[in-house]
Amino acid sequence: MFKFLSRFREPLIVGALLLVPLLTYLTKGHRGREPNTFDRLVLRLSSPVQGVLTWGLEGVAASAAGYVALRGAHEDAASCRSELAHKNEELNALNEAKAENARLKTMLGYVDGTHDQEIVARVIGLNPSSQYLSMRIDRGEDQGVRVGMPVVTPDGVVGQVVRAVGSSADVLLLTDPASRIGGVVQRSRVRGSVTGAGDGRKLALNLVRREDDLVDGDAIVTAGSDGVFPRGLLVGTAKSIARPAVGMFLTGVVVPAVDLSRLEEVLIIPVTMAAPVVPAKDGAR
Amino acid sequence: MKFLGFSALALLLLSVEEVLVKTFSFEVTRIDVGLAIVVYVATRGTTIEGALSAFSVGYLLDVFTSKPTGLYPFLAVLTFVLVRLVAQVVDGRSRASYGLLVAGATAGHAVLAMFFTWLTSSDEVHVLSLSGVPLQTFLTTAAGVALWPLFRKIEPGERPDPGVLS
Repeated sequence: MFKFLSRFREPLIVGALLLVPLLTYLTKGHRGREPNTFDRLVLRLSSPVQGVLTWGLEGVAASAAGYVALRGAHEDAASCRSELAHKNEELNALNEAKAENARLKTMLGYVDGTHDQEIVARVIGLNPSSQYLSMRIDRGEDQGVRVGMPVVTPDGVVGQVVRAVGSSADVLLLTDPASRIGGVVQRSRVRGSVTGAGDGRKLALNLVRREDDLVDGDAIVTAGSDGVFPRGLLVGTAKSIARPAVGMFLTGVVVPAVDLSRLEEVLIIPVTMAAPVVPAKDGAR
Repeated sequence: MKFLGFSALALLLLSVEEVLVKTFSFEVTRIDVGLAIVVYVATRGTTIEGALSAFSVGYLLDVFTSKPTGLYPFLAVLTFVLVRLVAQVVDGRSRASYGLLVAGATAGHAVLAMFFTWLTSSDEVHVLSLSGVPLQTFLTTAAGVALWPLFRKIEPGERPDPGVLS
């Protein structure tokens, strides 16, 4: 026995190194595993390196861009001042509408599902495998980030936290094939499902009936029905909508509202389940 | 314990790769520096050291993917064995031939990763992730050739034993 093991030591070791991960993969499939102590150590070692590199590269890029931006700065400033004046007018009108909305909600006994302050995080890397489209951010469980929290920018939805370790976390991007969001057409309130197409650029629109009201250019927002994203966040714009000759559902793609390849900062919404708040009984209608 | 040296280098290179891929705004294209290490140890290392290094690189890649499933350690060791097999007919120890082996391994690794992901997933859309492979192959080969002198510092020797797994 010992002679056999000694003679075939190398093929046996290589065979074990092949078989153990293969069996793990085939039995656990696509679920992945929770990070163990060693995984956590690896991630804790890598995130400071990435933080420093990101800081350095962005510093260099900002310095270079600063010199370039000085050209035409005077004209830009005048244009910005004019635009700011218009925006202030719009903001004032929106504040009025907000105050009115709050008064009406109070009258209707509506309880708003507001959440705590968002956590601001800097993007420090994209994961090195193109099979899973995710990115690394510089805020983790030490800062209160938890698995399942939605990640957004002011432009729209980015994805969802799938792993939080120490002072970093991984965010599954909208464009990953494993990502699924309940969506609703902002104009017609038609519901559907938005999934990642896997190419990093677009999303697939599913489960929208062919007779439903949806046209190219319609804004798709979160429906709040998936238990992850609060409702009303912009997902993207519908494109290439087609109604095939056969089948129940129309086909189309959604162009994400956020350019996921150029993200620098994101906001993490500190809720793990955006379930609707049940109104108090005395105020319920 | 050269595999520890390669593991530490892989950890550093993967950390840098994540930042560079983000900086260059790549969508599905990656720079597979880990694979460059696997090919190097397959052409120059001993069987045990090489297989352990390949496994270790694959494990690190698996952890960095945010969804560790065991796929990448398996693919890294499989790539190690396949490169070893090819190296029976093609001498991959010079810098140029090493570059060619890295290019072949990168393309093969991407196709195998897509195949195994498709095998355990109901989605058919993973094929789209292959759109970045040509650029990925070029970038990985360039990175591998550029890092070759560094790899030689860790494993300067010629592969002492002939055969695939002996």
